[in-house]
Amino acid sequence: MFDDPELVQSFVEESLEHLADIEQELLLIEQQGEQLDLELVNKVFRAIHSVKGAAGFLGLTQINQLAHSAEHVLDLIRNGQLVPSSEVVDVLLRAADQLRWMIQNVDQSQECDIQELVQQLQQAASGAAGEEAASGQRETTEQRETTEQQNTPGPQNETAQEQPSSQSSDGSASGQEKSASPTPVQSNAAPAQGQTQPSAAGETKAASGQAAQPPSPPAAQKQNGAGGPAPQKPTPRTTAAETSLRVPVHVLDRLMNLAGELVLSRNQLLQQLDTSLVQGGGAIVAGLDRVTSELQEAVMQTRLQPLGNVLNRFGRVVRDLARKLGKQCRLEITGKEVEVDKSIIEAISDPLTHLVRNALDHGIETPEQRVAAGKEPEGRLELRAYHQAGKVCLDVVDDGRGIDPQRLKEKAVARGLISRERAEAMSTREALQLIFAPGFSTAEKVTDVSGRGVGMDVVRSNIERLGGTVEVESQLGQGTTVHITLPLTLAIIPSLIVRCGCQPFAVPQVNIVELVRVRAGERQRRIGRIKEAPVLRLRGDLLPLVHLSEVLWGSQPQATEGPINILVLESGQQRYGLVVDALEDSQEIVVKPLGQHLKGCPCLAGATILGNGQVALILDVAGIAASVQLRNVQQQEAEDAAEEEATAADSQTVLLFTNHPEEYFAVPMGLVARIERVRREQLQHLGGHQVLQYEHDTLPVLQLDRLLQVKPAPETRRLFAIIFRLRRREVGLLVPELCDVQEIPLEVDTESFVEPGVMGSVVVDGRTVRLLDLFELAQKAHPEWFARSPAEPAPEAAPTQYRLLVVEDSKFFRTKVAEFLTQAGYQVRQCEDGQEAWDLLCSGQAEVDLLITDIEMPRMNGFELCRAIRQHPQWSWLPVVALTSLSSQEDVQRGREAGVDDYQVKMDREQLLESVGRLLQQKRRPAPQEEPVPVG
Amino acid sequence: MMGVAPSLTPAPENTAATEPVVTFYVGPLLLGLPIAQVREINRHLDFTPVPHAPPQVRGVVNLRGEVVTVLDLHRVLGLPAAEQTLQTRNLIVFYQGEPVGLLVDQVADIVEVDPEELNPPPANVQGVQARFFRGVLPMERDILVLLDLDEALSLTAEKGGNSRQENTRS
Repeated sequence: MFDDPELVQSFVEESLEHLADIEQELLLIEQQGEQLDLELVNKVFRAIHSVKGAAGFLGLTQINQLAHSAEHVLDLIRNGQLVPSSEVVDVLLRAADQLRWMIQNVDQSQECDIQELVQQLQQAASGAAGEEAASGQRETTEQRETTEQQNTPGPQNETAQEQPSSQSSDGSASGQEKSASPTPVQSNAAPAQGQTQPSAAGETKAASGQAAQPPSPPAAQKQNGAGGPAPQKPTPRTTAAETSLRVPVHVLDRLMNLAGELVLSRNQLLQQLDTSLVQGGGAIVAGLDRVTSELQEAVMQTRLQPLGNVLNRFGRVVRDLARKLGKQCRLEITGKEVEVDKSIIEAISDPLTHLVRNALDHGIETPEQRVAAGKEPEGRLELRAYHQAGKVCLDVVDDGRGIDPQRLKEKAVARGLISRERAEAMSTREALQLIFAPGFSTAEKVTDVSGRGVGMDVVRSNIERLGGTVEVESQLGQGTTVHITLPLTLAIIPSLIVRCGCQPFAVPQVNIVELVRVRAGERQRRIGRIKEAPVLRLRGDLLPLVHLSEVLWGSQPQATEGPINILVLESGQQRYGLVVDALEDSQEIVVKPLGQHLKGCPCLAGATILGNGQVALILDVAGIAASVQLRNVQQQEAEDAAEEEATAADSQTVLLFTNHPEEYFAVPMGLVARIERVRREQLQHLGGHQVLQYEHDTLPVLQLDRLLQVKPAPETRRLFAIIFRLRRREVGLLVPELCDVQEIPLEVDTESFVEPGVMGSVVVDGRTVRLLDLFELAQKAHPEWFARSPAEPAPEAAPTQYRLLVVEDSKFFRTKVAEFLTQAGYQVRQCEDGQEAWDLLCSGQAEVDLLITDIEMPRMNGFELCRAIRQHPQWSWLPVVALTSLSSQEDVQRGREAGVDDYQVKMDREQLLESVGRLLQQKRRPAPQEEPVPVG
Repeated sequence: MMGVAPSLTPAPENTAATEPVVTFYVGPLLLGLPIAQVREINRHLDFTPVPHAPPQVRGVVNLRGEVVTVLDLHRVLGLPAAEQTLQTRNLIVFYQGEPVGLLVDQVADIVEVDPEELNPPPANVQGVQARFFRGVLPMERDILVLLDLDEALSLTAEKGGNSRQENTRS
């Protein structure tokens, strides 16, 4: 009967193809229950029938007999004589598994003992209404294990008889381990087998080596579109056969390589021709360019397969596992049609299986637990695939018990993975990622479903090897989401070539968010340090900075005078800036693997050959982040989130000091004229006020404990006088001790501690610091100075005539400034940022005589706003006062260029009022008939 | 490296029983590799240095579209790093199905070696441990030392692996 190996081989291929979709279809039939889709049953029936016929022809009696029994059951279902209950479908599924195994091991098929299965099939057929249900449950659990085992390939060295009958839990466990542990069998097997035999079979074998469902050949799947069975309108197999062709995988691989080389050659040619183009050559080159691109794309297409291939198999996995664990779980799969490269499909199967098993084993609770927790008894597991920004995302979502970050931390500490201090400092988010740490398992006890040493660390390393990332999010009691991102293909990637020193490196475009160029002049403002780590200020965000030369070669970044090029990179949830020496052009590069001696380089994802033949190493964006322990920096930032946000939004340099040693105060540094050391004996009382006696003069001084509700200052012999100018005179604030000059975030609490003289409080390094309003303090101490405003340069008109627009993103400053401008008698309108102000000006609705604006603002900053105003035909005359925390010469220069009329320190209300008054006099809205007043 | 073993034991049907061996100098040593293990000898010496590579790795070169790792045999054997001269060559060998470049000081000759005449290596040859060698053969002027390619290259591969672990754990 085996005299014609070719015939047998084609039987194997054909039968496996017939059986390919059966599992899915049987599960669908089970779901439909009595609302049977006849066409679906027919399809399964036909498939089994074909196998039966061919087996009979070849004299494979065992296969023939089993197929016959299964066919009989299907016939009964088709005729409505038998309801496809779970038990019936269970037997059918096992029959399909057994058939597949026998076909794959066709030379052993005759020795298989199928009698038990045949009996069960007959039993199912005879018990037309499910009488066996009573005993069925126990039996099923036992039989489950057979199925489990059959899911994995039959051990080649065991005899076939042992295989189906060995139901010991031992055997099942080992079978399971095989399927759970991500062995490299699959990826290696496919190409190797592809060379010795037609690929579809090789592929099928390789794939089914890991799980029961062999994917159909790629071309056939293309036909099906979604890949999964279309239950309502099953596509007849014959159609697919007519329009598709089986191609060995290695041929595709070769095509892929050649296309890659062609792309390379094209690039080289383009570079050569670039400078010396002959007449008309452009069109030829353009044509070549286009064809090459299309060819490359088409070849890539042949390797793309829908993720449904791998996702569909989980219907069975979830069903079987849930029953085994006594849980109820509904599986929802979306995005089966999302296509990715074959190599990725193969490689993602194992990690995904592990995650699904984990979710069922540890995530989803038993029905009782769920009900007790107020959830539906049936758990929900969702597999979600979708495209996002040129990547493929895969989410495994369950609504189970979630992960307790606290327990993770404890476990990690107990296992010595992290120190206790580190654990305490960890954010919830970071703690969750601990499950990916090597040697970490959350299971209380090791079960044979998950948690046998093959942990999440393997899942992560497998995914990262594909150039993907994995992260976990969890809400305790609500569920867990594992988020995987994968590249579409591994072979050709668009990338940006950068230089470090004189060496070129390629950075995958998918990781590049944007390019930032920091000019030498902006450096101080945009690049700072948080606890020693360099950061980039980018639109209100703080981004950790990594110097490429430092991370690659450990060399100190050279202090250059020129601009700094920064790539803003993203990998998973991480974002950072990479400082490179130079940017070159974008190129599509063919990824070449690095040799085995270089597998340990964490920062590299491979190599490529540039148009000029030079080798460029491809940077691994996630690897770089990991190797500089970027997480730490980010975590630090997360901890200081509030502070960080405020720093980014606005900050103010202040002088910190104490009055009573426990009470901290701050005054804006911009207001401080100077600081003097004084002795207590220099103080004198003069007319009810304290003054500081100089040789020839006296200086009025203020003491906090006389003006505010504060604890008294200690009686020290030496004091400091913080001297500031007010009403054209100098005033000193006496303080016993100075602490620091510091840039503090302006997250100002304007609720607590507020009294005249105190603007509000901020928290600096865990201490509450009261921010003083020197103006109000002085007013409190010397109201007579403020009785009239003799010093105020009176505008020609009363202030009320003037309408001021205050533009400031910090609410605190905005209200503060608006408040005292209103007090001074102006009409004030407020805008939150430059864009809002600009929109207002452009709307024609606003009457504005003067604009006061902050510099650093989201959307449109003060400089941009000012430049826009100067360009505007209607508003170019508008006086603009810029506010700054502490004016730097550079900012002032930039402001002048942008057309700012005056610069004022934010907290200095006197100076600001004076400036406003002066500008309102100088610059006035041009009356239509008047000549424009020259800008002063 | 299945091909190595038979080449060193006389094949029954081959009466001559000799094997052509490429000989080359690495520091003070005259080394040899069966010609079957050598893919080519070239002067591709414009290495692209690779960050975080094991110290034995000099870099990678473009060998007709393939990216090939080049090892400095000096460092592999524990000798001071090689200095490039006009005689320096890149010996491309196959290691576990993958081409690997070996930096050698000078290529000498191709000699026929009768495996029967091989002596087991002494504990060390010129300060280099014996484990890198298959055997030694006295020649007219020098002693030819047959390199154990598997041992020499696996060592670096192993180190590479270790460094990876260290890196991922850190």
